[in-house]
Amino acid sequence: MKTPDLGRVDAHEKVTGTASYGADRVPDDLAYAMFAVATIGKGRTVSIDTAAAEAVPGVRLVLTRFDEDELRGPGFLMGGGFAFQSLQPLLSDVVAYRGQPIALIVADTLVAATEAADLVRARYEIEPFAVGIDDEGATSVLQEEALPWFPDVKVGDAETAYAASPVQIDETYLHPAQHQVPMELISSVVQWKGDRLVVHESTQNAGALRHGVAAQLNLDPADVDVISPYIGGGFGSRNALQPHIGPLALAARRLRRPVKLVIPRRQTFHTGSFRPVSRHRIRLGADPSGRLLAALHDADHQTSRHDLYPAMYTEITSRLYAVPNFGGRQRLVQTDVQTPGFMRAPNEGPASFAFESAVDVLAYATGQDPVELRLANDTATDPVTGLPFSSRHLAQCLTRGAERFGWQKRDPRPGSMRAADGSLVGLGVAVGAHPVLVAPAVARMSAGADGRVTVGVDGHEMGQGIRSAIALLVAQDLGVPVQDVVVRVGDTRVAPQHLTAGAWGTATALPAVHKALRELRKRLGAGDTGTVEVAAAVRATGHGSPEVEVTSVGPGQPPEMLDRSRAGLFSAAGPVFPDFTAFSWAAHFVEVRIEATTRRIRVPRALCVADCGRVASPVTAASQVRGGVIWGISEALRESSEVDPRFGGFLNTTLEEYPVAVNADIAEIDFDFIDEPDLLLSEVGVKGLGELTMIGVAAAVANAVFHATGQRQNRLPIRIEDVM
Amino acid sequence: MMKTSPTAGRPAGLVETAFTVNGEQVRFELDPRESLLDVLRERLVLTGTKKGCDQGHCGACTVHIDGRRVVSCLTPAVQVAGRDVTTIEGVAAPDGTLHPLQQAFVDCDALQCGYCTPGQVMSGLACLAEGHTETDGDIREYMSGNLCRCGAYIGITAAIRRVADQTKQTEV
Ligand code: FES
Ligand code: FES
Repeated sequence: MKTPDLGRVDAHEKVTGTASYGADRVPDDLAYAMFAVATIGKGRTVSIDTAAAEAVPGVRLVLTRFDEDELRGPGFLMGGGFAFQSLQPLLSDVVAYRGQPIALIVADTLVAATEAADLVRARYEIEPFAVGIDDEGATSVLQEEALPWFPDVKVGDAETAYAASPVQIDETYLHPAQHQVPMELISSVVQWKGDRLVVHESTQNAGALRHGVAAQLNLDPADVDVISPYIGGGFGSRNALQPHIGPLALAARRLRRPVKLVIPRRQTFHTGSFRPVSRHRIRLGADPSGRLLAALHDADHQTSRHDLYPAMYTEITSRLYAVPNFGGRQRLVQTDVQTPGFMRAPNEGPASFAFESAVDVLAYATGQDPVELRLANDTATDPVTGLPFSSRHLAQCLTRGAERFGWQKRDPRPGSMRAADGSLVGLGVAVGAHPVLVAPAVARMSAGADGRVTVGVDGHEMGQGIRSAIALLVAQDLGVPVQDVVVRVGDTRVAPQHLTAGAWGTATALPAVHKALRELRKRLGAGDTGTVEVAAAVRATGHGSPEVEVTSVGPGQPPEMLDRSRAGLFSAAGPVFPDFTAFSWAAHFVEVRIEATTRRIRVPRALCVADCGRVASPVTAASQVRGGVIWGISEALRESSEVDPRFGGFLNTTLEEYPVAVNADIAEIDFDFIDEPDLLLSEVGVKGLGELTMIGVAAAVANAVFHATGQRQNRLPIRIEDVM
Repeated sequence: MMKTSPTAGRPAGLVETAFTVNGEQVRFELDPRESLLDVLRERLVLTGTKKGCDQGHCGACTVHIDGRRVVSCLTPAVQVAGRDVTTIEGVAAPDGTLHPLQQAFVDCDALQCGYCTPGQVMSGLACLAEGHTETDGDIREYMSGNLCRCGAYIGITAAIRRVADQTKQTEV
């Protein structure tokens, strides 16, 4: 059954400006906060002069240090904790990176808080620092030694098989650091209601915020509410507790006033995570026909001094093709920055850029068509585990895509195609994959005498359309109008609110909602299928508003994972499940044009054919594809966070100096879905889409640029000077 | 709609400023450093207008002053004395009926997270009024001051195109 086209259920709020994001609250007696930040690359504060700041009229509080017993460390998300990094500013004199907060100012007005923050002066003891992965002082560790629970992928004997391969490709790729820059700034309104702490903050992980801030302040998590109905873009930047919330809560308690903090755009480049720099050496061994015999993927991956943010690049590069021998080796390079972290397609984006660029090199080295070479290396089983893939329609994505894109009209010779205006034309292809992860979920569903159905479930609405997908599922199942379905997500008052990321949101929430529907039907005395007259059925039960609660876990996940999720801890599982391995798959086709005189690179059209299981909500899925492809174009041609070798930290910390794709950069983006439910995974059959749609785009762009110019592009972003 | 915020501890040099917002008269004692954006959001609680950068780079804060689009984060509020400000809250009809451009945004799914959307709608209205809709390329250029990190650009362009074509038809 195909899902009908129905719009986004919260579009009306969004076009009228009534959707309420973190900072869109102005409680009475609100005070405004601002951070002053460190201006050195590394060292310690010797003294902090706050006198001038305190003298600004309207300033109520200037805090430079908290006690360990009033504010504890939050723990690193990937190390069993709650926060994007373990380091909590304002607990010691240590400055680990430029831009680290050194004082918190709270004032009656925003202008007073801003003025005061500018007046904070610190004296420092400066230490040498390293901000680039090749800088002196950067140190590296082998990931599988430092983090044995994130082992490298190894299959067969890749070194030997590579050495014996008749065709050898050996290429190194550099992917820059990048920042998520969602349009909504990092911001919170923090408020005490008696002993209850209420945090309004747009987050992808309300559960970690609740438990993390409770642990930091020694509160009962049950006394913390985190409310995040809408998120102005997440992309990984809001997937953990941020270090401002604890200090804000303490300031609000001292002042007995609600406090709002909107972190200025410049500061956001240092106050949250970012995509780390990574370097990838890809070696491919093949026979003369291009059949892969071995692949080796060595990655250097930036992290901070205080946390080891793991790399998982080889998780997908080992599975794109039937490679009998695979050798992964990932090194973590420690630098003096805040801890990097997840940004849309965190591992898969850079990994696919590198690997799929190398596969294109192999196609040219063996004289094969890049689509045909990929088809010839297809696999139905997971080469790493030997398990079947729960579903893999990648070959179909490629053939359908080639047909739809007009690939057969491509002259494979580099530099051979020109447009009427003299621009060089290049067509490129690449594939992508994203692991299917699922997390435990709790769903609570009630039906009212007015016929409305309310569902509260684990999940966060960050624009991907989870609210619409849930509403649609309920409406279709019960045969009720979609307007009669009320969806509550991102709210710790209705469900634990496990992290929504890795495109698992919908794949996690929908099975729980599906299960709740079965229970609700029983409570309403309705059959397992067919339309339900909700209002009449509710009245017949004699209860005001029958409610059911169900829990769900991913395939093979032990029920204890629910307890972890309820404790605000990371509890997702996959992509290897007991009986199968699950990935979503995509093929991307891109056309570039390079203007003859300016060498400006444009992308007039792109096509994505995706195998994401069942399409849960066609309208929002279409937008997800377009958004993901635009991210890929932006990754390939625009985005790079430059570090400052003189003073530490990042340099281009505004939306002007950190360009992202704008409307004029984007023309036609076509897409198609295989739309086959993955029933091994769940009854609902959805895999994941949000990240998949950008994975492979950058490689397709780079391969198209090669086709247009004959110049290989081994580093991103590709700029005019790279195609001179 | 007048909301007074605490003036305790305000420095001297406040400027009494009156203007209209969505047709209603407002009057404040303003610090000359206060942006129109912050006055709209924090004093008037018109939070539909968003802050995405506070530096004039993103367009999330776009409003109309006397019918022309401006970024309200770079507009000192004292400068709008005597002018008419329109925000996203003033775009739909009083009975709640969406403006055709808002409806086109819904129909074309011209949004994801929705954070840039009020600014896109305000800029889109201006783009239409300015007549920068001859080609889709024109729309893209004249809408490029409004960033959308979710990448809803194709829907945004389609929504503006739809209204431009409707308007043309009614004019013919
Ligand atoms: S907030 Fe005004 S342009 Fe970004
Ligand atoms: S809809 Fe999210 S930034 Fe535009």
